[in-house]
Amino acid sequence: MSTQSLFERAAAVLAAADETDATSETNKADGTDGTFGTGALGRPAASAPSLWRALRAADALPSLDTDPAVLVDLVCEAGRRATPAPLAETLLVARPLLAAAQLPVPDGPLTVASGPLDVRFAHVDTGSRVGPLGAGGTDDAVRVSGTLSRVPWARGADAVVVLTEGPSSGPMLLLLDAGQCRQVAGTNLAGEPRDELVLIDVAVPAERVRRVPAALVEEARWRAGLARAALIAGAARRCVELTVAHTSSRVQFGRPLSHFQAVKQEEAKLVEEAALIGAAVGAATAALAEPGAAEFPAWIAAAQASASVAEIARIAHQLHGAIGFTELSPLRLATTRMWSWRDEDGGEHAWQRRIGRRVVAAGGGDRLWPLVTGS
Amino acid sequence: MALSPLATGAVTLPVEARKLRQEVRDFLAEERAAGTILGRPDSWLTGWDPAFTRRLAERGWVGMALPQEYGGGGRGNLERYVVIEELLAAGAPVSAHWVADRQAGPSILRHGTEHQREFYLPRIAAGECFFSIGMSEQNSGSDLASVQTRAERTAGGWRLTGTKMWTGGAHINDYAIVLARTEDSEDRHAGLSQFIVDLRAPRIRVEPIRLLTGEHTFNYFHLEGVEVGDDALLGRPGDGWRQVTGELALERSGPERFLSTLPLLTALVGQLQRAACSPEQHGRVGRLTARLASIRQLSLGVAAALEAGRPADVQAALVKDLGTRFEGELVGEVREVLPVAARFDATRGTYPELLAAAILHSPGYTLRGGTNEILRGIITRGLELNS
Ligand SMILES: Cc1cc2nc3c(=O)[nH]c(=O)nc-3n(C[C@H](O)[C@H](O)[C@H](O)COP(=O)(O)OP(=O)(O)OC[C@H]3O[C@@H](n4cnc5c(N)ncnc54)[C@H](O)[C@@H]3O)c2cc1C
Repeated sequence: MSTQSLFERAAAVLAAADETDATSETNKADGTDGTFGTGALGRPAASAPSLWRALRAADALPSLDTDPAVLVDLVCEAGRRATPAPLAETLLVARPLLAAAQLPVPDGPLTVASGPLDVRFAHVDTGSRVGPLGAGGTDDAVRVSGTLSRVPWARGADAVVVLTEGPSSGPMLLLLDAGQCRQVAGTNLAGEPRDELVLIDVAVPAERVRRVPAALVEEARWRAGLARAALIAGAARRCVELTVAHTSSRVQFGRPLSHFQAVKQEEAKLVEEAALIGAAVGAATAALAEPGAAEFPAWIAAAQASASVAEIARIAHQLHGAIGFTELSPLRLATTRMWSWRDEDGGEHAWQRRIGRRVVAAGGGDRLWPLVTGS
Repeated sequence: MALSPLATGAVTLPVEARKLRQEVRDFLAEERAAGTILGRPDSWLTGWDPAFTRRLAERGWVGMALPQEYGGGGRGNLERYVVIEELLAAGAPVSAHWVADRQAGPSILRHGTEHQREFYLPRIAAGECFFSIGMSEQNSGSDLASVQTRAERTAGGWRLTGTKMWTGGAHINDYAIVLARTEDSEDRHAGLSQFIVDLRAPRIRVEPIRLLTGEHTFNYFHLEGVEVGDDALLGRPGDGWRQVTGELALERSGPERFLSTLPLLTALVGQLQRAACSPEQHGRVGRLTARLASIRQLSLGVAAALEAGRPADVQAALVKDLGTRFEGELVGEVREVLPVAARFDATRGTYPELLAAAILHSPGYTLRGGTNEILRGIITRGLELNS
């Protein structure tokens, strides 16, 4: 085991939990903590807690100082394997945000949510002369009420990182225990948990609250975009693998499908579109190494990944024929996820507008090319 | 299953590249101020300016990856990449030396005799010696191995007979590398050889084929029994197919396969900066920017593979199909973002004129250097070999 890299060990765990692989052991395990949807869509095989157990057992749980490039690779792999757990949310978003805000980082599966909430200081500073009563607290302990919607994997997470507007204007980051919120189950197009969290006067102690700069809110946004892009990159790769396997094995008119020009033409475009996402994610990942450099490349990755989904899913399904439209084929594990992921955390139009505003606004002169080259 | 075309680690450019990029930008700013650069689309095909080429050469930016002993810059391919992508993005007039720099030089370095290297390479690097590609013929387009041009042995060398077609720049360049059949063979890829032919030699007749714009870049290039010496043979007789394949890898892999129309997008952004821009317009500019940046990353991956001596034919085909389609898509999007009637007769360099040039050149993007349909065949063949 020790000769394998962390990535290899973790990838083996994700492979074992891959629903595509019918012989997978994890597949049959854990109906108990799997409170997941059991409809035709999704039917996640393992659950977050059991996946975390498996990762720990294999000494494959990334630590806080694991190279970000390895984390992105792992998230791609989770996308490829349709891994039923919040790896992307935990590794690429929640943990780095907590670390940046100097909050303790829990060891288990995490998720992230943001939105307007009613946040009040738990201990109102009645002596304060700044602002109306309640605008200041003797410390930063707060009480929170409200609803956070479509929270990924809330059911399977130990804790939720919440970004919201604080009581004395300015963003605040809170770390909530999953047990402090009421959960209303929901799912995305692939049957992955997207739950509603209802907070009723939840008390958050000051040591789990941080006032954060606006830049951290921006960082949360681009990190979420990059995480989704990495998942989509993995699922796109799976679409290519399944399609190539299908067109080279299925015979019609006495020849494998892959021998027909019309099939080749489409299949090549599928490969290209998937490669494009991989390259964009790779560039954003490389930029993580340089402080402050990753934001624009992460937007690019998010925009390109979301924008490529339609074409990738279209070609993969077309070349699979009717079988790909059924529950019998693992293709749906990739395509239904991609159709959801492209809209979560933004959607291509929002990313594209953000990029366009930066390109067009940037103070006269030609900023397009320098932005593209990163210098 | 190993799917090599998807294995795309990010490419980090060498540290020297940053300084180099700035040097090129400073140079381009001077040239722009002097009015030599109009930021035209497709400037690597139509921007013929030998004086500009020589100013580049003075700075060591022509033949920069050729070894110093042959007058080259001895720089890496990634550094060359930085220079040429800057030139292309600016729409600089680089067509004079483009083929010599991109493929003739490296081909001669790889397959040429010592005498050929010493004779051609220093002049290429000095920006004084320009090349054409003599591959295609009337009946040999995608099916290049079917070329009919023949080279027969003579006492002191070879006699070449046949007609090349679509030969860019044959009327203004100095030499062409001609693919000819030297032997008949069952195996259609055998018996081909490459020759370096002086375009001003007797019995050569160059006849224009005008583009649909009326511009003259293409030619018929008739070889009417051209006598050449032994020293015209490039590489080994019979090795022509293998050599041409290597040359095509260079021809297909560069940033000119996605940047041909970038100056139009730059011009559009300039227009939008002066007007109130709608969310819809921002979104479309963002869409193009994201695609451009992503394709560029893939293209850098090809350059890095070539630099490391790894085969990159499949990746190059992939980038070229994506990139050249993007060049055309960009034109369509730009029309939608800021609808303006394209005008070829408008003042050169203005937005409607650049748009016209990009539209009128658009059929070529996905044809030249091997059509996209053929490239997609290369990609799927690569997949089969890998699965
Ligand atoms: C701007 C420009 C510059 C050029 N410069 C040069 C030059 O300097 N020197 C030179 O030698 N050549 C040059 N060429 C020629 C170029 O290499 C050829 O045009 C190209 O290889 C295609 O050949 P063709 O035009 O004969 O088309 P064809 O091969 O006849 O193809 C016509 C159509 O059929 C499709 N097709 C053909 N075969 C297949 C197949 N097996 N499967 C699927 N589809 C197929 C093609 O994709 C294309 O869409 C240039 C071309 C252009 C447009």
